[in-house]
Amino acid sequence: MAVTPETLVRHELVGLDVEVVSASNPDLVGVAGTVVAETTQTLEIERADGTSRVSQVPKAAATFAFDLPDGRTVTVAGERLVARPARRTEQTGDSQWR
Amino acid sequence: MTVAEERVQRLHELAREAAAACHDERAKRYVRRARRVAERHRLSLPREFERFTCDRCDAALRPGKNARVRLQDGHVVVTCDCGNQARYPYD
Repeated sequence: MAVTPETLVRHELVGLDVEVVSASNPDLVGVAGTVVAETTQTLEIERADGTSRVSQVPKAAATFAFDLPDGRTVTVAGERLVARPARRTEQTGDSQWR
Repeated sequence: MTVAEERVQRLHELAREAAAACHDERAKRYVRRARRVAERHRLSLPREFERFTCDRCDAALRPGKNARVRLQDGHVVVTCDCGNQARYPYD
């Protein structure tokens, strides 16, 4: 099950190219680059503008546009990503355990 | 292949790339995250992953970069830069 628009919110975000489309903090709008780390509340984005600075963007207050490996672009409301990183995969039932 | 299995595999690749680029702490985070995902989904880790990650410091081991590999009678010894040694048999 590759990264598709349907599985994106349950899949690994690290390594994907992303751009912040809107955010409550105007300084974060337009931050673009590669996701390098994820916490419950934030994504850390290594900027692609040559500085390779890492911006820590709160998920809950931003909208992200992810570039999938197959070339499509998906826009996701950040609230849908707020969860512990390993826990996001569990949230719809293809785990046989529950 | 489920999302969880694919995620473990993807994190392993990312950890190897990060280790090659000297982002050691980042690589360790990816390895820990992969272990955690596998644990939560009751998956066994791929053999490649088990043999080329450090049990003590979670580094993604790349022979020549942060690991040394020695062949001995009956087994292989992989030594991490942290000093931890792991052995696995031939065959």
